[in-house]
Amino acid sequence: MRRTVLVCCGTGCLASGSIEVAEALQKELAPDVIIHGVEDACFVKKTGCNGFCENGPIVRIMPDDISYYKVRAKDASAIAKSLETNEPVLRLLYRTGGKAVLSQRENPFYSPQIKIALRNIGEIDPADINDYISRGGYTALKQALGMEPQDIIAQVEASGLRGRGGAGFPTGTKWRYAAGYEPTPKYVIANGDEGDPGAFMDRSILEGDPHSVIEGMAICAIAIGSSTGFLYIRDEYSLALANIEKAIQDAEDAGFLGESIIGSSKSLKLSIVRGGGAFVCGESTALMASIEGRVGEPRAKYIRSVQRGIWDLPTVLNNVETFANIPVIIRDGAENFAKLGTEKSKGTKVFALVGKVKRTGLVEIPMGVTLRHLIFDIGGGVIDDMPFKAVQTGGPSGGVIPENMLDLPVDFDTLTEYGAMMGSGGMIVMDSTNCMVEVARYYTAFLADESCGRCTPCREGLRQMLMILTDICEGRGREGDIELLEEIGSTLVDASLCALGKSAPNPVLTTIRYFRSEYEAHIRDKVCEAGVCPELASFAVDPVKCTGCTLCELTCPVGAVSGKQKEIYTIDSKVCITCGACRQACRFDAVVAIPRRR
Amino acid sequence: MVITIDGIECECEYGEFLRDIATRCEIEIPALCNHGGLPGQGCCRVCIVEVEIKGWKTVVASCIYPVEQECIVYTNSDKIKRQRAMVLSLMRARAPASKEIELLCSKFGASRNERFIEQEGEKCILCGLCAKTCESIGSGAISTINRGINKDVSTPYDEPSEACLGCGACSEICPTSAIEMEEQGSLRKIWGKAFDLVSCEVCGKPYATTQELDRNAKVLGEPASRLCDVCRRKAIADVLAKTFGS
Repeated sequence: MRRTVLVCCGTGCLASGSIEVAEALQKELAPDVIIHGVEDACFVKKTGCNGFCENGPIVRIMPDDISYYKVRAKDASAIAKSLETNEPVLRLLYRTGGKAVLSQRENPFYSPQIKIALRNIGEIDPADINDYISRGGYTALKQALGMEPQDIIAQVEASGLRGRGGAGFPTGTKWRYAAGYEPTPKYVIANGDEGDPGAFMDRSILEGDPHSVIEGMAICAIAIGSSTGFLYIRDEYSLALANIEKAIQDAEDAGFLGESIIGSSKSLKLSIVRGGGAFVCGESTALMASIEGRVGEPRAKYIRSVQRGIWDLPTVLNNVETFANIPVIIRDGAENFAKLGTEKSKGTKVFALVGKVKRTGLVEIPMGVTLRHLIFDIGGGVIDDMPFKAVQTGGPSGGVIPENMLDLPVDFDTLTEYGAMMGSGGMIVMDSTNCMVEVARYYTAFLADESCGRCTPCREGLRQMLMILTDICEGRGREGDIELLEEIGSTLVDASLCALGKSAPNPVLTTIRYFRSEYEAHIRDKVCEAGVCPELASFAVDPVKCTGCTLCELTCPVGAVSGKQKEIYTIDSKVCITCGACRQACRFDAVVAIPRRR
Repeated sequence: MVITIDGIECECEYGEFLRDIATRCEIEIPALCNHGGLPGQGCCRVCIVEVEIKGWKTVVASCIYPVEQECIVYTNSDKIKRQRAMVLSLMRARAPASKEIELLCSKFGASRNERFIEQEGEKCILCGLCAKTCESIGSGAISTINRGINKDVSTPYDEPSEACLGCGACSEICPTSAIEMEEQGSLRKIWGKAFDLVSCEVCGKPYATTQELDRNAKVLGEPASRLCDVCRRKAIADVLAKTFGS
């Protein structure tokens, strides 16, 4: 039987050695052609990211729909043999509740997902345009060429699609505005400058399904009357850059881009611009400044980019994920898309579920599902079943959401209402060993470095907030600090120049809002209950739980732990550097955080 | 179009900047980075005001906010007073040596916040007017460097810049007198570089650097006048007096 062996070659799996796996499989399956002939041979195909990165490299056998995880090159012969015998390799299957599952549809990480933006990723070879076409690619572009521009825009409006980059502005409305302005030329820009730590939605799409972004951009160009577009992509995304570059060339050769799109009078020239690594260049106006060759600093958006964007001309800038949704909306109809999601947030959203969650990876779910479903059903809950503490949504300028709010639906408006934001879709799960003041300090430090530094509230406000938070974490917090942080924060929200500054205090304001007692413990009692801030915490061994297994002593890098095997160990808090290695190593929860004695 | 600023009705054109309208109506809105010759900075945020449109209030920077519909503006609401004071306090911690900032702080009730770290001896508020001036003159000798809390204004690699003409326009435009320009006899020192000054043909006062005059000549396509500001104005006045005077 003819089979395809799909080997995940997304960045995560590549790092775990998927190229070696693919090569080993190719070697094993090469004689297949001689034995069975081309019609019945098994072929290896390198695909984009399957999303379940921590279990990579992932290998899928189609059409049997069997997925293998954590595959090594040495497993290739067993997989090749299984194709002959039709007996799956049991040891490489995913196990849930003690049961091994064959298909991704039975895997709790995948089963609740509905894939629109990620529809082709993991299924196709991103370097092969025919693979994309075989799954219905570029049919939406053909349809769009036969439509009036205002009808395309009406479809996008009817779908209810909102910008996936974070702000959630209705995409159709943006296009309609841009189409309505007189000056030409107009521009289409895809924002692939994904800068949030831990987020990789855009990277995955650009790597695994570059043609979906190109098709989305081409449809947008037809709708607004543009013939020039840019893809702004982080320079660190080497695989994404290589794949999108090839995809643009292939699309031009196939007549989907360039002078005359599929023989029509429409044209579109796409170019890639590499981002130099400044977080602020993910902000739309800073991004445009960067493409123009100026310093990547935002401008005030009193006049929107749809009216005066790049080179002061009408510009539609959408996120990579937004564009990837467009072909589906045009091809399958706005109503189908709008069936998913909530009243005001339609469709699906891709999240990068990371942090202290059992199943980390890329997840696409309909808008409106609860955080609890996302973290506990799909993510499998907190690692080691530690108590859940908070989830940071929306990247560095998002906010934290505590346990009692896990039943909130995930959509643009709800998250914003509670002080967090959807952002581009980062979800970082934290447990009881995370200190919320330290979390706020970490993000504030990130933003203090990554702000463009142009306007006073953002630059100077973050400088002072960072100093105060560092003081609190190091035991120098004072009465009145919490109130001062709130006051500076509220000034940033209103008086900053761009969205980065306006959202920069979110981590501080939400941690104060939901974990105020933790700030108070740091300031008044000089205690870090989570055992994170070295000046305010140390560790001790719980004599009831300790089994004398020696692991803590072996792990401690500074020799602070002492004791005898099978007896109760002790930690010398004068020597302890609060690195937490012993607590992490202990299998009996016997290492507990205590206030540091002075 | 008529808008209301602090209860006063002000006539304006579509798209005019809010602060320009207020200034015309003699309503004072403080600002530091706003200069008539180089509009559009919008970064000091001292000129923030509240704008109410259809019941919705937002805080905007009045120096770059274009008025496109009728609105009610509050330049001194409680919120604005509080936030402007915070911006000024933050600025004061950044530039504690600036007399201009100190004055503005006392005028707008921004006390010195003991909790803030101060950058001793600093006068610069990083408004960027100097770099913009240098760029628009065509020199580009100085620029803002780095980003975030490490932002600064400097010459390339902090070394004396070949492109610098020593014209002193940066120092002239600086709202907080942060750029030091030292003059001794016919020698000027700025940005770590020394310049010879040319003296006025009439009064003999040293008034411009050789590099500046050379460049002016190149741009104009004719030798630049060797008169200082005062003498040049006087010379023009003499011509006018001879032509039109009795």
